[in-house]
Formats: sequence, C-alpha cells, structure tokens
Amino acid sequence: MSKAGANVLQLFIKPALMGLLVAAVVLAVLSYLNSDPQPRMTPSSSVASYADAVTKASPAVVNIYTQSLRQGPYDPRPRNSVRLGSGVIMDDRGFILTANHVVSEVDEIRVALQDGRLLAAQMVGSDRLTDLAVLRIEADNLPVIPQNTDLQPRVGDVVLAIGNPYNLGQTVTQGIVSATGRIGLAERSQGLGSGYSDFIQMDAAINEGNSGGALVNSAGDLVGINNASYQSQLTDQGTSGIYFAVPYQLAYRIMQQIISEGRVVRGYIGITAEQHYNSIQEARGLLVSAIDPEGPAAEAGIAIGDFIYAIGGEPIQSVNQGLDLVAETRPGELLEVQFYRDVRPMVAQVQIERLQHQ
Amino acid sequence: MKKLVLLFLAASALVLTPAHAQIPFSTNSKEVPTLAPMLEQVTPAVVNISVEGTRVTQQRLPDAFQFFFGPNAPQNGTREQPFRGLGSGVIIDAEAGYVVTNNHVIDEATDITVTLKDGRQFAAQVLGRDEQSDIALLKIDDPDNLTAIAIGDSDDMRVGDFVVAIGNPFGLGQTVTSGIVSALGRGGFGSDRLENFIQTDAAINSGNSGGALVDLRGNLIGINTAILGRAGNIGIGFAIPSSMMNDLVAQIIEHGEVRRGILGVRGGNLTQELADALNISRTRGAWVSEVVEDGAAAKAGIEAGDVIVSLDGRPLHSFAELAAKVGSMGAGRSVTLGLLRDGDELEVTVELEEHSVEAVAASMHAALQGAQLSTLDNDQGVRISAVEDNTPAHQIGLREDDIIIAVNRQRVTSVGELRRLLDNAQGVIAMHVRRGSSTLYLVLPN
Repeated sequence: MSKAGANVLQLFIKPALMGLLVAAVVLAVLSYLNSDPQPRMTPSSSVASYADAVTKASPAVVNIYTQSLRQGPYDPRPRNSVRLGSGVIMDDRGFILTANHVVSEVDEIRVALQDGRLLAAQMVGSDRLTDLAVLRIEADNLPVIPQNTDLQPRVGDVVLAIGNPYNLGQTVTQGIVSATGRIGLAERSQGLGSGYSDFIQMDAAINEGNSGGALVNSAGDLVGINNASYQSQLTDQGTSGIYFAVPYQLAYRIMQQIISEGRVVRGYIGITAEQHYNSIQEARGLLVSAIDPEGPAAEAGIAIGDFIYAIGGEPIQSVNQGLDLVAETRPGELLEVQFYRDVRPMVAQVQIERLQHQ
Repeated sequence: MKKLVLLFLAASALVLTPAHAQIPFSTNSKEVPTLAPMLEQVTPAVVNISVEGTRVTQQRLPDAFQFFFGPNAPQNGTREQPFRGLGSGVIIDAEAGYVVTNNHVIDEATDITVTLKDGRQFAAQVLGRDEQSDIALLKIDDPDNLTAIAIGDSDDMRVGDFVVAIGNPFGLGQTVTSGIVSALGRGGFGSDRLENFIQTDAAINSGNSGGALVDLRGNLIGINTAILGRAGNIGIGFAIPSSMMNDLVAQIIEHGEVRRGILGVRGGNLTQELADALNISRTRGAWVSEVVEDGAAAKAGIEAGDVIVSLDGRPLHSFAELAAKVGSMGAGRSVTLGLLRDGDELEVTVELEEHSVEAVAASMHAALQGAQLSTLDNDQGVRISAVEDNTPAHQIGLREDDIIIAVNRQRVTSVGELRRLLDNAQGVIAMHVRRGSSTLYLVLPN
C-alpha cells in the first residue's frame, strides 16, 4: 500500500496534465480502501442511483392476487372478493414469502411475475403471529431475491420497498431504517401486536398492496418483508412516514420451519412479564407479573414477583428478547432461568411446552 | 508519510467535488453530502403561479318555481363564482419568458401572476395549452433577468434514480423534497388522457402541480402533475416526462396549440393471456387490434395483430405509453416503430398524420363543426380552408376562404388564440369575419 502511495506521490508533483491520471488512480485506491459495503455511484453514470439494486431485486418481487367466495351477513349469496398483495421469491424451488393477511382464508392464489408470467400458487403454510405465509409456484427460470444471511439492518441504512401498491404495477420507494426491534405498538394478537415479531420501522412509503413485498438495501439484498396493515392503526390517514417490515432473519427462520414442518412450533413458558430495572441488583430484566398455574414455569417453581435476569445463560434486556428465546426453544427441552426472589439469587430448570392457540 | 496524507486530501477534494453535487450515501469523510449546491442553481427557475378567475356554474331551478311564479319566475341562469388557485411552474426559456405548468393550474384563469423565488412578480399570458396531456405554456410579460432550467432527457431515467421535486405545496412557498423514480411509463388512469408518467415517492402535494422534477444534476426530467391518495401524499406521485413536455411545448410555440399526431391504430396492452393466445413469447408491448383505413399506420404497412415493441429505439411497455408518446409528438413527425409479426421482428417508419382538422374545429365550438381551420401566416386571423355542406359551420354562414379576425371584439391571431377566446367567451358569441373585401358578423348560438 505505501509503495503504491509513493508511486502516486511522484506522479502527483509532476505537471498538471498528470494530475488527472493521479485522480483516477487515487479514486480507484480510495474506493478499494473503502470497506463500507454500500455502493455509491453506478459505474454506468456518474450520478448516484439505486437502479442497480432495483435491477437485481425487483424481478424476484411478485404481485399476488387472491380470490375468495364470501358470504355476507345479510346476503346469503356468496360474493367474490379479490385481494391484492406482493410476495418475494426466496429460492429457485419456487418458495415465496408473503404476508399472511394477504393470503389467509382465500380460495385461489395467483402470482404475477414481472416478466408477465401468471401462475397459480399453493399455500405451504403460515404463521399468524408474525403475519407471514409461504407459497409455492412451479416454474422454471425463477428470479431469486439476493440474500445475505449475515445482514443486520441498522438505523439509518437506506432501504427500498418494492411492491404493487393499489395494483398500480411494480413500484419502488426509498427511505431509511427508522428503528429496529419495534414491538407491541398495538393491542393485537398477531403481527405487530403479538410480541413475536421485532419489526423494522422505516420511512419508505408502502401502501395497500405492498404487504408481503420486499424491503431491500442499497445492494439489493433482502432486509425484510413489508407489512402495510399497521399504518391505519397509527394515523387516521395512513400518511405518517411510519411503516413496518418483518426482518429478513426472522422471516427466513419462519419460512424454513414452515417448509420443513408445515407450521411454526414455538416454546411456551407460561409467564407474563414486564421489563424492569432492579435497583437493588442494579440490573435490567423481567418482572413476573402473572403466571399460568398449570404452566412449565410454575411447575419449575417460578412465582409472581420474581425478577428474571437471564434465560438460557443469556442476560435478558427486554420482553421481546425473552419471548424470542423461549419461542425458539423446542418443546420438551430444558431452559435454565436465573432470577432473584427478593434479594436471593435462584435458578430454575424449566421444561418448555408447545405454544398452543397460535 | 505526511506528504502521502496531503496527497490524499488533495485527491479526495478532486473526487468529492462531483460527489457532493450528488448524494446522501453514508460517507466517511468530513464533508456531508448535500443537494444544496445543485439546488442553488436550479430553484430560481421554479416559480409560484397564482391565478384568479371566475368559474361559471350553471344553475338550474326546479320546475316548481315556474309553476308558482309563472313568467316572473327567476330565470335559469349562470352563476359566476370567483376563484383563486395556486400552483407551480418552470421557466424553460429566460429570454422569451416561457413558463411551463399544468393545464389544470391555469384552467379558466383570467389573471395569472408568476412569482419568482427572489420575490419579483410578473403577469403572464397563456400561449397555449393541452388538456389531454395537462401541459400549458405561459409567457411572462416583459421578462427580465430570469433563470431558465436545463432540460434533461427523461428517457434516460431508470427506476431507482434519485429525483428532487421543487414546487409550492399548499402555497407554503418554495419547497424541495427528494425521492427516487418508483416506476416509469405509468398511465391509463383517465381514458381520454395522454399519460406516460414518471412515478416518484418524493412528496408532492396540492400546489406542487406544474413544478419541477429534477435529477441530481439539476436537469428537468418531469413536470409534477398528480398524486394518488385523497388525504395527501402517500408516496405515490406522478410527473409528465420532460421528453413529452418538450414535444408539446415545441408545438405550442410553433402553432399556438398542440397539433396531435395520429398513428391510426387501436389496441391494448399485450397481456400474458393475449400473448399465449397469439403464441407470442413477449409480454410487454402495445398490441394492435385494428388499423384505421388509410391512416398513417396503414400507409406504413402496420397490420392488425402486430405488436409494437419499440418507438424510436426505446422499448414500449404499454399501449397507454404508445398513445401518450405519439399523441405528444405532433403531426408530421416521423417515428420508427419496432414490430413483432408472426415471431419476426421488423421496423417501419411512420409519418404521423394531423388530427382530422374538422375535429379540431368541432372541439372548439359545436357550431364550428364542418369547418377546417388554419392560421394565417402573418397572424392576421384564422382562415376557413373548407366548409362541408349541411354542417353546423355551414348553417351559421361560414364559407370557404372566410377569415375570422375577431371574437367578441377581441382580435384572433391564430387557431390557438381562437380556441382560447371561444373557451373564455360567455353567452352569445359574435364572430367578426372578413370575406373578400367586406366584413360581417356571424353569431354562434349559445
């Protein structure tokens, strides 16, 4: 590196004409030095653009149309209802991730690819708590969304939402990650309110029809699955600059489980807890506020008022983190729970059960 | 080693100079990327437009009034309601004082005031307008020391490119918002409209209409025109591409109106189902279902069943895009169309024909149906180049070679001006016509 730098230096003090060459060389060196994975300028033009990321990702984002025959409360004749959404082709076997509310309780699902192909899709399985569903289509030469399993979205990252709002046709909107780990904004038993989905919050505009579509970063890698069903809960008009997506890592895990087992199996511990700062122990953790008397935690000796500071050896900072740890434990396995009862440190081995009524 | 550091600073200055006319990517250097230097150049070319006028609303009284009041009943009449409006505009020619805006911004306006970013105000006149594409061209009275915008090529834009919208939302004053190109070639919202919009997520609101959409170099690539969503911006806005605007403005400058080119085909989008049925391997393009007899397309050899896949070398996505492009190009232009016929690709050159002139006259006023109009070379009026027998135009007394010189005592200089005067006229219209060496008045029924 220093040798190359010295060469460059010699060139630089030579007459002005050489300066241009130097600039070119240095530009190359600088961009090489830059470890930041974000692309800056497209090689085809000097102006920055996300066109390359769009080109990579957008063919794998599909439009989803569903049909269902519904019986209205007053009219006994069934009515045909059509719903709209988006989906993301995850691999070349034809598995598609989408939002569960797009495809739940429908009779027919059709998928439109960006190359114009229109295909029937099969429902593989769904998970109500994260509002995700997996579909499958049978076709050759499928475009697959670029994925990076190590990707951790950070607040401030540029993201592009790709989907089919209002059936306008494929639309790309841009914004940044506004927050990560959003949970429990609404009292709901699924999706955002369930506590089982640590949503990405962003300001890239999504609308009805975007649900199930892709959120990608500026390299075109999948960051999340967009979910447009929460805007209306936040503002009357849905024009707030606050939108949500299920993070890719979570969505991928859910998809793998659905593909291999047809459904998502979650562990159940049987406590209700809230985040708490214990000033005596000077530690953050969870305060048990209610307990299922028949549940595994009660059986292992945990009681209301206990202050849990570690589960499975991991320090617990938030309800969400605890919920994840328990949910990901396979039923039947033992989970070590460390807690204080008043000032007395205690340990319980809890045999996790299967979460019912998902 | 110190020298080396110096070198890098100098070089990074070299590298950064173009870069911060560019973009908000993360940066490790001390300088934060900003659009401000570009915007300082561009924003003086974007103006606020305020309009005033009176909108005539028809008032129909219930028949019961007639019954109770007899002949003394209040008359069915028109009610004049004054209105004010706000919008934006873009200066495209500083010398001539040409300002592009949306037709819907200046529609029905009698007074148009253009306010520059530096606060100066000018009165402006409508040079010509086109309802179907929603473009209007204004001329500032006594232009002085204006800044024009540089016009870019909207055909080079790609989905994902950064764009900046400049306008006057809600009359707040000049406002700049940024976003990306969300989609291209959007249209088909209004059946009789010419739409080939650039879709963007840059926030556009009421009052932004007629304002500029620029790329990161500050070049105009669109005129902001419409949004989806009743409550306000939901991240779906639409702009008329600058290439389409260019074509329309050129016609308005030349003729005082848009002389639409006609291709002479009917059809629709090539869909998957259609492609399957016709055994075509593509799914994007404009499918021709019918070719108008003796039309431009027929003369060039286009046949029903052909799929038009490109126009002047640019791929076409939809029939709406074809209609919008052809419809804004102007009569007489030659275009090269790429066709798909029975699996073979071929190219034809078509000379776009003029919109049937009779339709032009009839669209101005029902009583002019049957007359063919042309602007006199020296702007001395509008010549009637032909009148068909037994048509409304013939019945009101128009004859071939008549020259319309005034409408309601206002001079007519061109076909465009005639349209404007007829549009603005209320009640009975008296048309001053020169026939040979004498002049006469013809009255157009209300």
